[in-house]
Amino acid sequence: MSGRGRFLTRKVAGSVLTLAFVLVFNFFLFRVVPTDPVASMFRGRGVPQEALDNLRTAFGLDQPILTQFVYFVRETVQGNLGISYQTRQPVWEEIVSRIPATAALVGISAILSALIGTFGGIVAAWRRNTWKDHSITSGTMLFYSMPDFWLGMILLVVFAVVLGWFPVGGIVTAGTNATGLPLLLDQLRHMFLPALTLTLAYLGEYALITRSSLLEVMGEDYLTVARAKGLLDRVVRRRHAVPNALLPVVTLIAINFGFVLSGAIAVESVFSWPGLGKATAEAIRGPDLPMLQGLFLVFSAAVIFFNLVADIAYGYLDPRVEDR
Amino acid sequence: MRRVLVLLAVAVFIASLVPIALAQEEDDSVVLRIGDTQNWSSLNPTAGFLFADYEVWNMHYGTLTNKAADDFEVIPGLAESWEASDDGLTYTYTLREGLTWSDGEPLTSDDVVWNITTANEQAWANHYATTINLTAVAIDERTVEITSSVPDPKLPAMDFYLLPKHIWEPIATDDVAVTEYDGLDGVGSGPFVLSEYRDQQSATLVANPSFYGWEGEDPPIDEVILQYFANPDAMVAALLQGELDVINNVPIASVASLEDDPDIQFIVGEQGSFGEIALNGGLAEGQPHPALLDLTVRQAISHGVDRQAIVDDLWLGLVEPQDAINAAADVSKWTPEIPEENRLRYDVNRANQLLDEGGYLDTDDDGIREMPDGTNPIVLRHGVNTDGDLAQPIAELFQGWMAEIGIGVEFSSQDADQLFETIVAGDYDTFFWGWGMFVDPDYMLVNLTESELGNYNDANWTDPRYEELYLQQKVETDEATRIEMVHEMLNIFHDSAIYIVTSPEPELQAYRTDTFEGWVRQPADIGPVIMTQTGASYPLLQPIGAEAEGGDDVNWVLIGGIAAVVVIGGVLIATRRRGTADERE
Repeated sequence: MSGRGRFLTRKVAGSVLTLAFVLVFNFFLFRVVPTDPVASMFRGRGVPQEALDNLRTAFGLDQPILTQFVYFVRETVQGNLGISYQTRQPVWEEIVSRIPATAALVGISAILSALIGTFGGIVAAWRRNTWKDHSITSGTMLFYSMPDFWLGMILLVVFAVVLGWFPVGGIVTAGTNATGLPLLLDQLRHMFLPALTLTLAYLGEYALITRSSLLEVMGEDYLTVARAKGLLDRVVRRRHAVPNALLPVVTLIAINFGFVLSGAIAVESVFSWPGLGKATAEAIRGPDLPMLQGLFLVFSAAVIFFNLVADIAYGYLDPRVEDR
Repeated sequence: MRRVLVLLAVAVFIASLVPIALAQEEDDSVVLRIGDTQNWSSLNPTAGFLFADYEVWNMHYGTLTNKAADDFEVIPGLAESWEASDDGLTYTYTLREGLTWSDGEPLTSDDVVWNITTANEQAWANHYATTINLTAVAIDERTVEITSSVPDPKLPAMDFYLLPKHIWEPIATDDVAVTEYDGLDGVGSGPFVLSEYRDQQSATLVANPSFYGWEGEDPPIDEVILQYFANPDAMVAALLQGELDVINNVPIASVASLEDDPDIQFIVGEQGSFGEIALNGGLAEGQPHPALLDLTVRQAISHGVDRQAIVDDLWLGLVEPQDAINAAADVSKWTPEIPEENRLRYDVNRANQLLDEGGYLDTDDDGIREMPDGTNPIVLRHGVNTDGDLAQPIAELFQGWMAEIGIGVEFSSQDADQLFETIVAGDYDTFFWGWGMFVDPDYMLVNLTESELGNYNDANWTDPRYEELYLQQKVETDEATRIEMVHEMLNIFHDSAIYIVTSPEPELQAYRTDTFEGWVRQPADIGPVIMTQTGASYPLLQPIGAEAEGGDDVNWVLIGGIAAVVVIGGVLIATRRRGTADERE
């Protein structure tokens, strides 16, 4: 097997092992503190003990913990993530139905903040110590240092409550029958403020990393050579400086994409956005163990997968990385 | 040339957006919009457990008998009349004539019999408490005989949600399978039936033309939309902007702005819910601080709690403090007045006096009293429930009050599930929580009995006389006698000083007065208008005048925004091409 092939196999095997470890660890982690989800859920509902015991049996909670674990592992590797305690629906379906809302909001924000932030960082580095640099650096840092839900609430109050330009919550107008393009426009209208919030909040990360990476590259000898050859400034920047400066940014993008699914629980709450973040907060009530296990499995898989992508991408992009 | 093509494409794109922006749904349907901060769990009555679920079921499913809005008296529902047997154990119900389900299938006594029988076989969570002692026999299509094996003061109330047999029988194959059904068939017999459900977003119900309550008239409301808000302030804003007609769970901070609006009515809806600081009664494995086992210490703690301050500071004076716990939603009937000489009202001097007399002195002058033998300083482990808004401020107030009487308080923050386990284990001294009420007092009274130790008895307390009275009231069919029994039980519990009732915890609600009229408070004058025991308002609401359409000019902002971006982008692309030749090396 070639060096590259070995490299890939090693990385993929490592990822699978990490995921397996997360699976086992989470199972026991959620059960460290003893809980009785059935009793918790039905407190104050006047349900007789017999009915509660029935539910405990239905949830598999009357089994010894190792039996529950074996059942859990067996079902999970077959792709059955179990039934949610709260909704009594298959966990996989619950999660999959909520992925689009979270992926759309956080994914678009991730892309926009990466693009705009990186571009801003490039400008800031290339025009170092000018007003452009200062305004970009302080501007993005200002937003980065604000709590994202606070920023979201300010935007909500100004643009939705006071000005009434955008809806105050949700993903669509409640009870709407719209389909096709009007539905898409309705969703975009609802997504505008939360996406703006998340984009502004994370610009700083990309701007600063790009800026410092590019500043490092700008000191390199080969750029002096390029300029000596008579190339225009912007050509030097676009063809020789930026591509080399982008390596850490690529890694950052890949890692941040891993966290897209975990959502942005605070922003989802401010804008009543029906995403996975909110679903996780609700699953903690109970606790809804199958739902929590399923959610964290999906989150971990996303992070592990994108870390793998980052690892591999870096290996391909930077020929200096040895294939060990 | 390229530039021209690009600009042309941009113009065409913009032009295509205009008809979409202009196309508004021409709609004269009457829609009632409700906002709440509670999500749904499951809309299957054998599985769901959240209040938002009950609200949907109260509209979707009819019940054999209903409860009057003003005082919860048993009134006809799907059954128009009933007769009791001589021994009071059997009731024969006659269904209204011509009843059908919303899908046209006849609603008959077979449905009733199937519900009761299957609910018992499969222990349906939300039915079982009502049906557990019942058997049912269909006499004919419209007549059903229901017999209780024990005297039951709740009879003739028969208010479990009637599920359509023709839909549910194939689903209810066993007790697990029935709970895994999503309940979204939309077939019911109430005023409105579920037509669409988007989890964490909204539930839409449409008028059920075969509902008996419309009395042959057209339903005045076509659709009811329940909308979930994760952000209560956004919900209040939506009400103020006219996008909602009524909201529940108004945050205290928004009360003033709602009261200022002339088109909005803010109400304090009391249906018996209350909060309390609970002491550890000592019957779990984990023990409280030994001082708490002394009644005089508990009395002193109660004297040390300033309930008026809670009501004034945390509830803006919207409720009145009370001494006894409630046992049922009709507080005026079931909650006794505690005799003046037994009251444990705020009195710091009295509290200090009781502790001094009991020998709990602060011998080392550190501000904390010790046990009479000088050891074991009285420091209470107080569980702070992080799942509620009030627990944190009340914990801090409690710590301050206890400092005034020489008792220390340590906090332990836990979410509701953890706190539940801590209480079962007994590893605490005090905590703050509360209860919501049903119409029948049995549901609350059972929580303080021996049978609920290790489960819902979060007082970790019993009393032999209370137990005796509990068993008696459970089968006492004469209401006046039963009320006396319950009053005695609540006095006993009050005198044990295990719960320090902090205040009633009402539903804070607000509704627009310019869109719908006919709001009904349940119970009369003091109750909420929605999220009530039976959803009494819904069949009675009428729209006021013409429905105002929400402004749609917001579309233009988005269209304008997209257009601007496209135009700018197009111009940039078109002008940028010029530079290419220079850049080629």
